[in-house]
Amino acid sequence: MAAVTERFMHLSRPLGPQQAGLQSSIAPLGVSIQPQAILSILDHATRRDVRDASQPSRVIGALVGTRSEDGTEVEVRSCFGIPHTEEEDQVEVDVEYQKNMLALTLKANPREALLGWYTTSLELNSFSALIQNFFGSPDTGTFPHPAIHLTVSTDPSTAIETRCYISAPVAVNSERAAESCLFMQVPHKMLYGDAERSALGAISAAKDNENRNAPLVSDIEALGASIEQTIGLLDRVSEWVNGVLDEDEEPNAALAQFLMSTLSLAPKVDPEQIEHDFNNHIQDVLMVGYLANTIRTQIDLAQRLATANIQIGEKEGDNKNEGDKDGQRGGGKRGGRGGRGGGRGGGQQREPREPREPAE
Amino acid sequence: MTKVGQFPLRAAVKQLAVSRISRRLPRTRAALLTTLDRISPKSPELEILNMTDALKDAPFQAVQVDALVAVKINKHCSSAFPTTATGAIVGMDQNGVLEITNSFGFPSTDGASSDSHQNDASAAAAAAPRQKSNQTYQNEMIRHLKEVNVDANNVGWYTSVTLGNFVNMNFIENQVHYQTANNATVALVYDASKSSQGNLALRAFRLTTSFMTAFKEGKFTTDILQKSKLSYKDIFAELPVTIHNSHLLTSFLHQIPGLPSEEDIEPPVSSADLERDQVQAPLHPSIDMLDLAIDPFLEKTCDLLIESIESHYTDLNNFQFYQRQLGREQTKISQWQAKRKAENAQRAVAKQAPLPEDEWQRLFKLPQEPSRLEGMLNAKQVEQYSKQVDGFTAGISARMFAVRENLAPQ
Repeated sequence: MAAVTERFMHLSRPLGPQQAGLQSSIAPLGVSIQPQAILSILDHATRRDVRDASQPSRVIGALVGTRSEDGTEVEVRSCFGIPHTEEEDQVEVDVEYQKNMLALTLKANPREALLGWYTTSLELNSFSALIQNFFGSPDTGTFPHPAIHLTVSTDPSTAIETRCYISAPVAVNSERAAESCLFMQVPHKMLYGDAERSALGAISAAKDNENRNAPLVSDIEALGASIEQTIGLLDRVSEWVNGVLDEDEEPNAALAQFLMSTLSLAPKVDPEQIEHDFNNHIQDVLMVGYLANTIRTQIDLAQRLATANIQIGEKEGDNKNEGDKDGQRGGGKRGGRGGRGGGRGGGQQREPREPREPAE
Repeated sequence: MTKVGQFPLRAAVKQLAVSRISRRLPRTRAALLTTLDRISPKSPELEILNMTDALKDAPFQAVQVDALVAVKINKHCSSAFPTTATGAIVGMDQNGVLEITNSFGFPSTDGASSDSHQNDASAAAAAAPRQKSNQTYQNEMIRHLKEVNVDANNVGWYTSVTLGNFVNMNFIENQVHYQTANNATVALVYDASKSSQGNLALRAFRLTTSFMTAFKEGKFTTDILQKSKLSYKDIFAELPVTIHNSHLLTSFLHQIPGLPSEEDIEPPVSSADLERDQVQAPLHPSIDMLDLAIDPFLEKTCDLLIESIESHYTDLNNFQFYQRQLGREQTKISQWQAKRKAENAQRAVAKQAPLPEDEWQRLFKLPQEPSRLEGMLNAKQVEQYSKQVDGFTAGISARMFAVRENLAPQ
């Protein structure tokens, strides 16, 4: 599901540096970004060094993910931050750190590869070009694939904007080639699958809270919240329909058509049939619940009996054996036997019944 | 028929359609309302965690998970599903709350062979947190994360489970491993199959101090359990989990689709408009929760419950075997003792020195009592399953009443 989509046409991409025997592709490139990568970037942005005023306000990091076979689709799956310093005329990226961290990341996810880099400001400058050329170079970067550059605006006063670029070499002369390149914007979207919906749902639950915290709720509470919300939406639609009937609202054929076709999806069933099915099913479900609790009680009982200090056992043990040690053992043994009896009795009662229940 | 004659007819049809919609909608609404009424009384699953005495000795009382960690764990575990995935979490504890701010997965030991040996891979991943190589990996990773200002303090580990089947030796051993090194650690348990229903199932556990001491001694015999009063309910304590977002993230979350806007919307011109601009489902409250097909989960839980009963039974058999063995040995001993007594009596008559009566301790060897830990864990697991069944039945019956109200005539 695409959450953020850029609407622009992307016809072709710039040619990378041509090398003998290697033909670079000029097919369009699409970038999809998974939420955890964005979240990582935002987290990294909040963790930048603010104590040192000379430090740049942006942070950089590497993007890791997968690339489709023909290289036209890339998916950014995760990322990691890289320490760097920017001064007036030079930029320093911890290359050693990047290399080690990449190796560590790839060890956990062997199918992924280095894709490019990100920074937390929208600005593109000559430092960007330098870093871009580093990430795109043959020995340290993504060559022959183009390095992707993702910029995320993290200015607190504005909306968070993401842009995605690839680059082509451009320079007035060969000396300046290292610090200049042409950034070309490429389309990108944020993708999340069904599996991530639950986590994203949980974190969006906190978005309207003052303290930015949300407790994890149980299933039934979540169901309640969903139903309340659905009732609210239904109310809104009903209100509109009633408004149309009372001629307060402007009728709309398209909406009515949509509502009709949606409502006609409700199955027509025999009332007796539904009552019958309902009763059967609810009985099954309640039975399963009841049995599960019975089992829990039985096991609890079995555990208690297994460790219970049964007095009769102790006395018998004392009488039978002279040694203290033996007496204790006898007591333990009796207690254990009691526990076993309880547990087994329950087990036998349940065993034939239980497997049938869920199948019904 | 002229066009003039047709027009009122079309208007009538329209009227009819609208009135049908207006009849139908309140009914669905009423159905949902009754369901809501049904679930508002406290359901068994709502039972607030018993964080009374079990947690008193813990260095923190609650766990606060950063949104990043929730998403990372969710992603890692669901992409590895159905294989178990494990990883480490970092953060810090302050003011009685353990803040978990970052996480990373452990390298999976499988490779291409994972498909054919799924169980092996799962077992390997489950044991991963206490492996030597992963320890080095974890330390290395934390050292690197420190350089980008991430909290460089290991606070435990996470694992993925299927429908709550996590109470086993692997889990205990991993947590013991972490908790021995650092008391302020926690195990996050992410339920991949339960989360697919739309509600994030992330729970935090830590072992109680009494269990830790018992485990270090390594003895779980009946005697010791009697003395220490340790029951299966005191193995671990659950901690409440909250999700925390950064300011930046909150601002980002407001950019992804939420509820439909409250203002008046431009009415669509044609149904194609509706098709094209479909309303994005809000992430919270999730509409996945309204899915009616959760019976399979209940069924699977029942299967797991039956499995637990089986292992309970095996455990009992083992213990029974031990007791028979013990009984046999003890009869032998008492026979021997009787014989020795008789012999001594004879010797006393013959004025000879009596033979020692405690020699049996060397001659006979009493069988080792099997550890009761397995049984305890199993009991805990059963408790866990039956609570889960309670939760599912509550959900299913609520949904079923909604269906009946909506379909059956009033």
